[in-house]
Amino acid sequence: MKHRALFATCPDGEFFGRVSEIDSILRRASSERRPAPSILLFGGRWTGKTEVLRRVFHNLFWGQARCVPVYYQFKGYGTVEDFSEDYLKEVLKQYLAFRMREPKFVRDGISLDKIEKLLVDNDMYGLADIAALHREARKSGDASAALKNAMHAPLAITRLSGIPVYMILDDIDLAEYQGPLGRSTAVARELISSLSSSDFSFVAAASSRRVLEGGVFGSIEAMELNGLDEDLSSSMMIDLCRQYGVDADTEMLKLAAFRLDGNPMYLKSLVWAAAKSGLKLKSLKDFADLYTQELFDGNIGFALRAAMGLKSINDLRVLHACSGALFPVSDEDLMERFRFSAPEMREILNSLSGAGLVEVNLGSVRWAGDSTVKDFVYFIYETRVKGRSSDEVRTYLAREVLKQGFDFKGSRISVSLFNEASGIVRSFNNQKILKVLFRNQAFNSKFKNGAYKVSADRKEDEEFDLPQVVGSFDTMRLESGEAGPPILVAHGFQNGRYDAGSEVVWIVSVKDSPSPVNLGDVENFLRRSMILRENFRAARLVRWMIGRDGFTAEAQKKMDSEGVYSSDPVQLRIIKEGLGDVDGASRLRTAEKIVPVKEFEVVLPSATKAELVAARAVEEIGTEMGFDEVAIGQMKAALVEACINGFEHSRNRTARVFLRFVSSVDRLTIYVQNTGVDFDAAAASGASRDAEAGLPRKRGWGFELMRGLMDEVRMEKVRGGAKIVLVKYLVKKGDGRNGQEV
Amino acid sequence: MVKKYRNFKEIGDAVVIYSDNYINDIEGEKLEDLCASYLDRGFTRIVIDFSETDLVNSIGVSILIGIIEKVRDSKGRISFSGLKRVNHDIFSIVGLTKHIQIFDTEEDAVNARARQGMVTT
Repeated sequence: MKHRALFATCPDGEFFGRVSEIDSILRRASSERRPAPSILLFGGRWTGKTEVLRRVFHNLFWGQARCVPVYYQFKGYGTVEDFSEDYLKEVLKQYLAFRMREPKFVRDGISLDKIEKLLVDNDMYGLADIAALHREARKSGDASAALKNAMHAPLAITRLSGIPVYMILDDIDLAEYQGPLGRSTAVARELISSLSSSDFSFVAAASSRRVLEGGVFGSIEAMELNGLDEDLSSSMMIDLCRQYGVDADTEMLKLAAFRLDGNPMYLKSLVWAAAKSGLKLKSLKDFADLYTQELFDGNIGFALRAAMGLKSINDLRVLHACSGALFPVSDEDLMERFRFSAPEMREILNSLSGAGLVEVNLGSVRWAGDSTVKDFVYFIYETRVKGRSSDEVRTYLAREVLKQGFDFKGSRISVSLFNEASGIVRSFNNQKILKVLFRNQAFNSKFKNGAYKVSADRKEDEEFDLPQVVGSFDTMRLESGEAGPPILVAHGFQNGRYDAGSEVVWIVSVKDSPSPVNLGDVENFLRRSMILRENFRAARLVRWMIGRDGFTAEAQKKMDSEGVYSSDPVQLRIIKEGLGDVDGASRLRTAEKIVPVKEFEVVLPSATKAELVAARAVEEIGTEMGFDEVAIGQMKAALVEACINGFEHSRNRTARVFLRFVSSVDRLTIYVQNTGVDFDAAAASGASRDAEAGLPRKRGWGFELMRGLMDEVRMEKVRGGAKIVLVKYLVKKGDGRNGQEV
Repeated sequence: MVKKYRNFKEIGDAVVIYSDNYINDIEGEKLEDLCASYLDRGFTRIVIDFSETDLVNSIGVSILIGIIEKVRDSKGRISFSGLKRVNHDIFSIVGLTKHIQIFDTEEDAVNARARQGMVTT
């Protein structure tokens, strides 16, 4: 296991989003409730699961004392004996590292014998016994006893030490590895048995929900990690291009981010490739050239080739058939088409679903890869099976990318808004939410200048319960030939009751064009929803219209009289932000805090007192967000320090400092980036405090001031400069906590 | 006898120095020069009033620490007054509040009897 990387997380400049997921896991891990709720983090390849887990480990290791974090990454190889030793070693040494505050135990390779000795030296005899037991089991060749001993070590430690172990398990689906070395299902079986204990908790990452099938882990919270949303992924591309000096066009980066499904690995690879080959990202053609180059000969292609692990040409045939199908295909159709026997088909589908490329459900096979994987499958199928040349396929794909990109430029809004709405509806899970977020007219009358004015009667500020959505789909197939914007249908249950009376269907229309929803659109939607309703026998129907450019007055009137909900992108954004996690949803209940995500950028020239411009900017932004005077003063002082640091460590005297302010519902995040060489490491680590008992030391207070004044301060090196990230949480004005006590 | 100038006020053996809106290296050095000149003239009590100061940066802080050292070396006494919350926070983070008397107003500072040890308001 690469423990060197366990503490060395990816620099923040190259890691975007996932803040709410990390916060949410950390809150659960260090909550007072015992055992803390366990979490399954699932998502496609390279969506950042490992990085999230490493950051969780890092935070738990350094930031709390309620639980002992232990990170383990499963591998798809090795015997039961090897696995047992590796697992036990990691558990014991990470426990030692945490208790003795000695990270080098985690970083260094260290034998089990040495760990046992260390445990004895530190009077941890009970734990040393676990290591001794393993030694005995291996000596007598009892693999089963060694496995049991290793898998139950976290539980034993929890009981012996009184401090719960919090397991952070990466690639848990690889525990099922059934290779030629005979690991079989033994590891998975013991893992399930150990994780089912009620004495300790865990977070596990897997590439699919398959791990949850059968409810083997009992009560566990599922958290999905999709690609980054459009804003985040395009912002990531913009930042990366700036860091790597790639000449790029913002609109083109948005297109690239969309085309690459917001997958952080693809996005980074594309920018790296551009930087390496000195290419630009300014036009559709630049993107098409780079993308196909990366897919065929670059990092993306290399990574996909390794990760997919296709075993035979038949795997490829089935995969190609599934990736090109608009709807799920049946396994019987595939067997007939390719003349496979049932066992052959089963083996192929097992292999493909194991790699997360298809989902198999009751004989129906559904493509589960993203569009980049689909392009890659197309490439290898055309070259290997059909015998076409790479250049020929590349030309074809580049042409397709150009055509799609051209369409995208025209209808970008529609696709992203529909996807956004679809994601939001899927995340409905019995949360409570303000009614006004579904009533556009009422919302707009009180939402001015980025702030929501609470009404006197607060009728619109009341909440209603969202259903728990169990599935959703678009009506493309049901409504073939129907004109009008796409419609989304979501099935769910109200109030946590799974009976016919609580069943509910949400029918959602998303108007994508840059014109408001008009009366004709509403009538079209009402007619279509009546027809669609016939397909469902739900007791209750909820209709919701979303308009990119809002609604005309006539449309509003009609919707009000028909009881149709209405939202615009601002409302949608607020709903989305609050539904992400339970705490976010509860924050949403406070109407006074409805503020959308906004970003501001400021570039400071190297000039006397230039940092005061930054201070002025944060004062304006902070005031608008509702921070109190004390918090604003603290942010100003911290930002001044960050800017001074940025200038001080710039490469040259004329260097500039780039500031990005991101305001969201509950926090202001400020990114301060220079084009310098590094920060003052000693000052950043805060390690240079004077030992003498007299006056404080004179120099090197910048980082300590920032840390003392802000809620979070992160520092990182990025290529071509350095970045400081300052975060201040917004606490309700007047409750005395805004602007914490120092 | 009280002599009041634009940025300082002399009251007997004490002087109140009014600091600028933003204490950085330049303003800090001005303060340092002013304090040094009063010490040279035999003033033994120095009050720096921060009522008009919105921000003190870390370089300003280091200069203030230097001023405190010099005053102490000269057997004089120095105190701060009129600190805004954020500046109090800054001095607290660097540990200055343990080493210097801090008063709400310059009057309190001037009228304070000589005391040993640290007192903050």
